[in-house]
Amino acid sequence: MKVRFATSMLALMVVAVGCGRREEPEQPTPVEQPDTAGQGQRALDAARADSIRRAEEEARRMAAEGASRAREILEERVHFDYDESEIRSDAQEVLRRKLDVLRANPTVQVQITGHADERGSIEYNLALGLRRANAVADYMRGFGVEAQRLATETAGEDQPLDPASNEQAWSMNRRAEFRITAGGENLVMPGN
Amino acid sequence: MIRAMVAAAALLGLSTGPLLAQQRDTSRLPPGVELATRYTLRGRPALAVQPFTSASMLTNTAADLTRVIENDLRLSDRFEIRPTPQSLASGPVDYAQWNSLNVVWVVSGEVSATTSGFRLDMSVHDVVYGNVKEARSFTLPTASSPDFRMAIHAASDEVVRTITGQPGMAASRVAFVRQNGNGKYDLLLIDSDGENMRRIFGSEGQIYSPTWSPDGTRLAYVVSGDEGWQLIERELDTGRTRVLQTDPSLLVTPQYSPDGSRIAFANWLPGGLEVQEMDVASGNVRRLTNSAGDNMSPAYSPDGRRLAFHSTRTGRQHIYVMPAEGGNATVLSPFGDGVEYAAPDWSVMGSEVTFHGRSRGGVYQIMLANASRPGGQVEQLTREGENEDPGWAPDGRHIVYSSGVRRSTPGLYVIDTGTGNIRPLVTGAKLRIADWSPSLAARFLGGSH
Repeated sequence: MKVRFATSMLALMVVAVGCGRREEPEQPTPVEQPDTAGQGQRALDAARADSIRRAEEEARRMAAEGASRAREILEERVHFDYDESEIRSDAQEVLRRKLDVLRANPTVQVQITGHADERGSIEYNLALGLRRANAVADYMRGFGVEAQRLATETAGEDQPLDPASNEQAWSMNRRAEFRITAGGENLVMPGN
Repeated sequence: MIRAMVAAAALLGLSTGPLLAQQRDTSRLPPGVELATRYTLRGRPALAVQPFTSASMLTNTAADLTRVIENDLRLSDRFEIRPTPQSLASGPVDYAQWNSLNVVWVVSGEVSATTSGFRLDMSVHDVVYGNVKEARSFTLPTASSPDFRMAIHAASDEVVRTITGQPGMAASRVAFVRQNGNGKYDLLLIDSDGENMRRIFGSEGQIYSPTWSPDGTRLAYVVSGDEGWQLIERELDTGRTRVLQTDPSLLVTPQYSPDGSRIAFANWLPGGLEVQEMDVASGNVRRLTNSAGDNMSPAYSPDGRRLAFHSTRTGRQHIYVMPAEGGNATVLSPFGDGVEYAAPDWSVMGSEVTFHGRSRGGVYQIMLANASRPGGQVEQLTREGENEDPGWAPDGRHIVYSSGVRRSTPGLYVIDTGTGNIRPLVTGAKLRIADWSPSLAARFLGGSH
């Protein structure tokens, strides 16, 4: 990340220097002896200030993108098979990405909510939702995330993503949701 | 469709037993489960309620009482209700005429005003023997009293008891939870005849598992909120509540013991839900289950000595029966690949346990088993819609359940295990986890013979 940043700074400076002259308004050359050395230095200074400004803007934009991407990863859902709380392999990929972001942001705390599809007894689905949330939390604690950073709860079948009654809706609804409850400002992507 | 046919056949006094048998669809029955085949409308005695008499200023009240009691007796599913022909609508009961119409029982009554409401002097006539089997006075409050209808229902239940020796269920209510669209929950009550629905309270957080105290004066239920999960007991008359138990993770499915001294419930111990039992007076809690998986939904036998409950200890969802102090559990629901059984409720009248279940790919239906015959025949009671969370009425005969999803009119329905009759109790989306009260008649049976 740092190397890329420095390289792009350099590239910007080179481009800025090359572009500098083009952006200055056309001016008639004074009749006296031209101060080409002074003009050149001012152009260089202006170009350098310009490229620093652009580099700072670029850095802010990339930080915002990084924070947004980190949040996305933290909030991405994982899904489960019917009546199961086992972490599927597709879910493991998602959780591993979360692990990296959590390591890069040690103050972040997350609330994990487990959900079930509408089939089955309402109260049983409360237990199933809690099992799912706990399975996710256990998985992540197994990779070293401190216990107090992860809280678990259940919503049972009561908050479907898709209220339809078909296989597609049900598989969407069997899930764990993630909500950042602390440390969510200035998130950074891993590797910074 | 089946209900329409049954109703039409009832009007003609015909049995629909063979008709129902022709409709049997056994393609999705779980293994070990049979469609209930004991439904018959033959053999129900014909009964008529003669319009109650009164002084002229009370004719409306008399008509209301007549209507409510006749409807209650219809909903008992024990009688063929016959209208009273004009020629028999006034004057004393004409046994010869009623006998020629094949009516076996006639109910007559007179309504008079009292200082505190009304008095109903009601008689149950045995037409075949040509005499009054029972005559009784019932004290009723004023029509504006919140107890008015329930007092009338108590009189209806006396008719049922006089004729059949069995308890009625008219003087009772059903408690249930409604999940509203905005994520809020309401705890609601409705009378056994579908009237008089009222909200006990509404909550921003989740409400589950209402259960009646055996004396009908309190409801226990669970709520989930910022303080975690709480088991609440509420006195219905005063609205006073107290917190009986808490759990940060999950607490569900409370149920009072038949003598009201204990409450069994399930809460989250490491590894899953376990059934525990609280002594209401002392607050002491003892653990009743200790197994892999989840254990929940305890339901006491009428003598309080056994508990049916739901367990996933084998990795599958099944109904078990164990001693009330915990111990060896016997499985009650039939084994099969991909079957699921849950939400048991034990009849107050005996050994019958109802629960819901399905086979893999099937639809949830209401089932019936006999706890004295574990491994014996399990019957499937319902056929249409997706049906869950059954609860016994205090007559040990009717069962309330929620029907949703694949039914065109979701809501709470009542099925009669004697005739198979099904009626809607209250319709609407997301009405769930109903619990039927014990009989509330006792507090209304003042008056004298």
